[in-house]
Amino acid sequence: MSSIKRFNLPDPGEGLTEAEIVTWKVKAGDTVKVNDIIVEIETAKSLVELPVPFAGTVSELLVSEGETVEVGTPIIAVETGQGGAAPVQDAPAAGAVEPGLEGSPAPKLAAAAAAAEEQIEEGKIGGTTSTGRTAVLVGYGVKQTEAKRRPRKTGTTPAPAAAPAMTAQAAPAPVAPATAAPARSLGEARALTKPPVRKLAKDLGIDLTQVTPSGEGGIITRADVEAHVAGGTAAAEAAPAAGAPAYQAPVFARSGERETRVPIKGVRKMTAQAMSASAFTAPHVTEFITVDVTRTMKLVDRLREDREFRDVKVTPLLIVAKALLLAARRNPEINATWDEAAGEIVVKNYVNLGIAAATPRGLMVPNIKDADQMSLRQLADAMGALVATAREGRTPPADMAGGSITITNVGVFGVDNGTPILNQGEAAILCFGAVRQMPWVVKGKVKPRWVTQLALSFDHRLVDGDLGSRFLADVAAVLEDPSKGLVWG
Amino acid sequence: MSTLTIAKGINNGLRRSMERDDKVILMGEDIGKLGGVFRVTDGLQKDFGEDRVIDTPLAESGIIGTAVGLALRGYRPVCEMQFDGFVYPAFDQIVSQVAKMRARSLGAVKLPIVIRIPVGGGIGAVEHHSESNEAYFAHTAGLRVVACANPEDAYWMIQQAIETDDPVVFYEPKRRYWDKGEVDESAEAGPLGLYDARVAREGEHVTLATYGPMVRVALEAAQAAAEEGKSIEVVDLRSLSPLDMDTLAASVEKTGRLVVTHEASTFLGMGAEVAAEITQRCFYHLEAPVLRVGGYNLPYPPSKLEEEFLPDLDRVLDGVDRALAY
Amino acid sequence: MSDIDVASSAGAEGTEHIDEAAVAALTAPVPETIGDGGPELVQLLTPEGERVDHPDYSAYVADLDADDLRGFYRDLVLVRRVDAEATALQRQGELGIWASLLGQEAAQVGSGRALRPQDYAFPTYREHGVAWCRGVNPLNLLGLFRGVNHGGWDPDEKNFHLYTIVIGAQTLHATGYAMGIQRDGAVGTGDADRDAAVVAYFGDGATSQGDVNEAFVYAAVNNAPVVFFCQNNQWAISEPNDRQTRIPLYQRARGFGFPGVRVDGNDVLAVYAVTKAAMDAARSGQGPMLIEAFTYRMGAHTTSDDPTKYRVSAEVEVWKHRDPIARLKAYLTAHAMADTEFFDAVDREADELAATVREGCLSMPDPEPLSMFDHIYVEEHPVVEAERAEFAAYHASFEGGH
Repeated sequence: MSSIKRFNLPDPGEGLTEAEIVTWKVKAGDTVKVNDIIVEIETAKSLVELPVPFAGTVSELLVSEGETVEVGTPIIAVETGQGGAAPVQDAPAAGAVEPGLEGSPAPKLAAAAAAAEEQIEEGKIGGTTSTGRTAVLVGYGVKQTEAKRRPRKTGTTPAPAAAPAMTAQAAPAPVAPATAAPARSLGEARALTKPPVRKLAKDLGIDLTQVTPSGEGGIITRADVEAHVAGGTAAAEAAPAAGAPAYQAPVFARSGERETRVPIKGVRKMTAQAMSASAFTAPHVTEFITVDVTRTMKLVDRLREDREFRDVKVTPLLIVAKALLLAARRNPEINATWDEAAGEIVVKNYVNLGIAAATPRGLMVPNIKDADQMSLRQLADAMGALVATAREGRTPPADMAGGSITITNVGVFGVDNGTPILNQGEAAILCFGAVRQMPWVVKGKVKPRWVTQLALSFDHRLVDGDLGSRFLADVAAVLEDPSKGLVWG
Repeated sequence: MSTLTIAKGINNGLRRSMERDDKVILMGEDIGKLGGVFRVTDGLQKDFGEDRVIDTPLAESGIIGTAVGLALRGYRPVCEMQFDGFVYPAFDQIVSQVAKMRARSLGAVKLPIVIRIPVGGGIGAVEHHSESNEAYFAHTAGLRVVACANPEDAYWMIQQAIETDDPVVFYEPKRRYWDKGEVDESAEAGPLGLYDARVAREGEHVTLATYGPMVRVALEAAQAAAEEGKSIEVVDLRSLSPLDMDTLAASVEKTGRLVVTHEASTFLGMGAEVAAEITQRCFYHLEAPVLRVGGYNLPYPPSKLEEEFLPDLDRVLDGVDRALAY
Repeated sequence: MSDIDVASSAGAEGTEHIDEAAVAALTAPVPETIGDGGPELVQLLTPEGERVDHPDYSAYVADLDADDLRGFYRDLVLVRRVDAEATALQRQGELGIWASLLGQEAAQVGSGRALRPQDYAFPTYREHGVAWCRGVNPLNLLGLFRGVNHGGWDPDEKNFHLYTIVIGAQTLHATGYAMGIQRDGAVGTGDADRDAAVVAYFGDGATSQGDVNEAFVYAAVNNAPVVFFCQNNQWAISEPNDRQTRIPLYQRARGFGFPGVRVDGNDVLAVYAVTKAAMDAARSGQGPMLIEAFTYRMGAHTTSDDPTKYRVSAEVEVWKHRDPIARLKAYLTAHAMADTEFFDAVDREADELAATVREGCLSMPDPEPLSMFDHIYVEEHPVVEAERAEFAAYHASFEGGH
């Protein structure tokens, strides 16, 4: 059984990648021995005689004299008369990548490298055959390469830092999941920070581009990241424990308008005017006091049992109102108003106690006329009526005018406290918040008590700190110990 | 526009420099009649004569040492070291004399010597023909070190190197000598300064910095990576001493990640300097540490193993993946 | 031997008396007849195959019998045949490069056969003929040119150092080795099996290198037992002798203070005689000598070189007529020391050897990639070990294994 072996043009050295067949020394039918000179080739640099690497009979000259061919091109076919045991059909061309070369990816040498030349002067590589190299004086020569990766086992490539969001340049083809590109679009400013802070952000799942930097030069500090977290933004809370820290805002499909416009009128308008006028004319100061109101709460319970108060609502607010009235009697200057036009402070000898109420029509502050003259029962009735009327939206205008001091009750909402704005024309407003069971120190021991915090905003033009403080303290004293009411008469 | 190989680009550049200035002379082994073992000086002795294109005795130290003398006399020698591994006999002359003489003379003396060295592996050669020794010279104050990577740079940079009055070690990527490219030889000047880096390919996610023979590997790697959705910006450093840190830093500030690659061993190679400098300059911009992909810390192996030794496309992209994983 | 024995004049005994004539003779270059080696060329066998006598050296071949001469012939033919096979293998891509010794066989076999087992040889990268004489397997040499290793044989096994590619570096190594032999007391004892010397091979181009000149200095001032054997094959790639020296190379030895002799490098008998004389002298403590084997590089520098660019083919033709093998064959035939049967047998043996070399080359296993990290240091080095592990892990990460 015979086999045809082809001898490919080996590299002739000196960096050349092609040669001209000058003279054939053999013809078809000739017998050749190993190393017989079969052809003379010419490169740009020299004339070289080539010996044939196998023995047999020349079956065909594959290239004619005068033709120029590239390294690796078969130039002669020889029938070797040997069995097909020869492992390689084609004679190894010069510089062939030896099959035994461990680990070297058998590169399909193509002009593929030339494909990378769109943007830069890559240059075409000579020799685009399967085994050709570009030869040198002192070695096998330069191997051709192509822009292709060897496939790796899954799991060996390190997991990427970011979710596999594609940039504008990415190919639409599916991305190898383990090695996706970071999700950051073109032109976006980079988050500037140092490695430990990056790690912190990554661990917390925070997108640094969403963090407000406080460092010089726009650098994000550790504190900035922590503040971002504490700010409880949606991004921080929604970030998954493991995985992509870069936050992708969800896109919601909405139907209808994105905005609703409400004309400013009615009560809203009045309230706004009153608030603005008050806030921007009277210098507001707010003081706070935290007080143990357990005794008041007990009193409330007792009163609710009392036949005197059987058919009227008794709430802690009632006691607060009474406390305020008692305190006002002791500190009459707080029940006053600043009359800028007349250049006078007008101290009122009556207390028209306003109760801020949330009504269907908006915030309203109806007041109880001459509340300082009322008994506790009368006060309770008045408050009940006021609140009911206000809820029904039927508060008459007369009830809204003439107030001299106000209570606002935020406790019903569970809110601890606030900094209330004075009802226009008044000098003080008391904010009454939620009453809670809190640990309190009683005779040296920690006990659960009913505790609340009162806030008093006052007009600092006519109410100084000591007046305001004494007034507030007096209110608190009554709440702490309602028997004070008896002492103060 | 001409299409030239790197070898021809240097050849043409040398010719132009010699035409412009009579004082430019070439010195080296086998550069005259033979035209150099890579034919880079082909035809020059015939046109400029034996006094200007000198076939020297076989002694590298002699080439550089006598070049110093010629330079002192007012000539502008362009010396060829036949292969990178053969520059070592001349190391003393280069480091002790060429690099230091200007400072020694307080500026009275200048040595406008260019030392051309074909550098790098990948040619299937025997020992000493595949070295990458640029770090030794970049580390030597008084020398300038540059490395061209394409025919246009080869053509212009050799002329610029000859024109500068400082000594320049001029690295030529020997496995790329036959790479072709477009060169506008009629232009007044080259597109860049001798010490400028160049963004060879724009990208978004990682900067891949390299020089000389590895530039092509980097570009091929960037192309392969693009198919995975990764956008690599390739920076051809071109100049190793000085390094164009402005261009590189601007790139890193854009991408936030840097991988440096070179054939020379990673340990104490050029990448180490780049990494230290960029880490300092771009600290707050870095999403990942600067990574280096280079040859192993070994003598260059026999040619059957050189592909395992040299950083190839896969190894470069492995470095890119690691950078992206931070 | 040169006509002025430098050792007995100014250099050795001090400079009390300066002989002006001697100095003039020392510094005047000897006129050279182009290409024939000059009047001082030592020759015992002409290119035509005729024996001639030399007053100093005939004695060294007096004891050679027909067997020895046939042995020389066989060596020359086999060495040439292996060299030709390797050249062909390179042309076929089985070797990355090959440095052919075509034309220099006699210089290498003649000197190689003059060495005693305990002598040490430091070659360049072309001394395949010397390797043959030392008993180094030709396949060991091929490994380097195939790119499988950088040499890789044990130098001490055959007292034949690894090939040195950096031009001339080995001459210093040889000199240092010789200085070691001195310190071992193996010079001038008179014991033929103990006394040893070193031979350092290098080419004409190498004589310009600093290392070679330094080696001459060190050998001279130390009186080291080293014979410097320069194969002047007339060309250092493309550069001829006149680019390397202004004076015949053998005469440069004078300047360093030791004798130099030029021998017909294509005359195996003369080379043998001169080398034997020089090695005997060195072993007996007379110090270094320079032998210039005047020969010719019939092929190219390496297989990819193109000599037509820098030398004329007429020159090559002239040297073809000085072929080392042809002249010996003529001599053997003329003196009925060998017949057609013998010559054919040698040719057959050469072909078989070539086939063995070819097969050995083609089946030479490639080195294991991890072996790259071996033998860098004697003691374990952390960077090497770390990179070895990194390399292994990296390659294990590819599909289809490594």
